[in-house]
Amino acid sequence: MLELREIGVAYGVATALRGVSLRIGAGELVCVVGPNGAGKTTLVNAIGGLIRIVAGGIELDGADIGALPAHEICARGIAMVPEGRRLWTNMTVRENLELGGYRSGARAARKEWMERVVAMFPLLGARLDAPAGTLSGGQQQMVAIGRALMAQPRLLLLDEPSLGLAPAIVLDMFNVIRDIHASGVAVLLVEQNVARALEIASRAYILDEGQIVAEGTPAELRNESHIARAYLGL
Amino acid sequence: MPSPAIIGQSLISGTFIGALYALLGLGLSLSWGMLRQINLAHFALAFLGAYLTYQLSGVGGMDPLLTLLLIAPAFFLLGVGMHWVFVRFAVGPLGSLLATFGLTVIIESVIQWIWTADFLKLESPYGSASLRVGIFYLPVAGLITLAAAAALCFGTWAVLRYTDLGRAMRAAAEDGPMAAAFGVNVNALSRLLSGFASACAGVAGVALALSYTLAPSQIYAWIGVIFAVVMIGGLGKPLGPLIAGLVIGVSEAVTMALTAPAWAPVVSFSLLILVLLARARNI
Ligand SMILES: Nc1ncnc2c1ncn2[C@@H]1O[C@H](COP(=O)(O)OP(=O)(O)OP(=O)(O)O)[C@@H](O)[C@H]1O
Ligand SMILES: [Mg+2]
Repeated sequence: MLELREIGVAYGVATALRGVSLRIGAGELVCVVGPNGAGKTTLVNAIGGLIRIVAGGIELDGADIGALPAHEICARGIAMVPEGRRLWTNMTVRENLELGGYRSGARAARKEWMERVVAMFPLLGARLDAPAGTLSGGQQQMVAIGRALMAQPRLLLLDEPSLGLAPAIVLDMFNVIRDIHASGVAVLLVEQNVARALEIASRAYILDEGQIVAEGTPAELRNESHIARAYLGL
Repeated sequence: MPSPAIIGQSLISGTFIGALYALLGLGLSLSWGMLRQINLAHFALAFLGAYLTYQLSGVGGMDPLLTLLLIAPAFFLLGVGMHWVFVRFAVGPLGSLLATFGLTVIIESVIQWIWTADFLKLESPYGSASLRVGIFYLPVAGLITLAAAAALCFGTWAVLRYTDLGRAMRAAAEDGPMAAAFGVNVNALSRLLSGFASACAGVAGVALALSYTLAPSQIYAWIGVIFAVVMIGGLGKPLGPLIAGLVIGVSEAVTMALTAPAWAPVVSFSLLILVLLARARNI
């Protein structure tokens, strides 16, 4: 459903991504791993339209979306859980979730999705009217995921959702991601927690210094010993 | 010690001038807090609105309140256009301060050129009438100003709090790219907000024309106190200018009644310093 062809992104003169090609099939869970500063967040932001690509193209179901502004990319069914969560901290949890379902295609079923999100994260039920900034890190991550689900995406971009969470919550987080994927949503998962990410991914890409250095199924990548040693921590 | 009647009457006049502070402060606070644009030209725009009211009503014979139907939409478009220019040339907060200072000077010259530097006063039925309540007089123009300020501030507050559009605006003000990632057309909403802020200047202008004598040099007389109102009320908070405006207006009037008129300007800045100190302690 999503196809990146040789995309390039630069911050001023510094190249952050070069010739990155990547494919996500409908309903697939694809994982991107790589060291700090590899360009993973840049990749997520480029797909979401938050940064312009300077080379290559991005296609969603055959339509070129590489030059669309972020709000139009959202309208086509791509939602994100950004690095660092980036909730609207001055607004309540409820407002954050409702704004998640702001796009016209998602507004009609907003009530129903709100109930689903609260059922998925019962802890949020009691905090709906609290400012999002007052929640703990784990709860904020739930709001960030809930907000993205409220957009009823076909493709969900997750940028290091387990970062900074207590180990017990990390496990819950991966279960939630697996459930979302099982419900038919395609997922692009960026993770530092490589072992867990590879457990649930059907395919993975390894990004280093702005370029894809390897791709394949988790089993294939584990079997290439130099890759496994350099990037997967095996 | 002045009599209770004089104190009471100064409370009333303080309320009405406070309402005008609120009306002038609302648009400034919204564009500063939510668009990061410090629109110094807000004051010149308000005076342009006042002079247009004078022209349409004092010269053209229109009812001053009906001029709102022309002035508010025209100023809305002006605000939209201004925002378009700011975005087109990527003007930041400091740049906006400089650019709108320039615009202020231009508008002042235009006003002076068309209406001269002489003092003008709109003679209207609203300006001269007042209601008598007991021993107090309530000027009708003041009541109109208060009603407009309360309606605009509370209306804006309700829209920002309870509608999708308003929430999207708040989200865009806090983290624009994230708002865009969730489907908010940030540029379109910013233009709308800029237009609204400018329309508020137009409304303030009509209120100004109802109660005050106009001269182009007066544009600068309001800047200090309105900045204090906006800062005390909290940037981007629509009820802030109403509360701060009334507090300052009333404190000034009471100070003037108890001491001398020269002490009035001290009030707003003392309050501003106190509020800023209190906030700094809470951080
Ligand atoms: N706003 C920016 N301006 C300039 N350079 C940037 C900016 N954001 C990222 N970079 C640079 O681009 C490169 C890729 O950064 P990016 O954040 O995409 O990496 P990442 O893989 O997400 O890293 P991490 O694992 O730390 O999140 C880095 O060298 C970074 O320094
Ligand atoms: Mg990152």
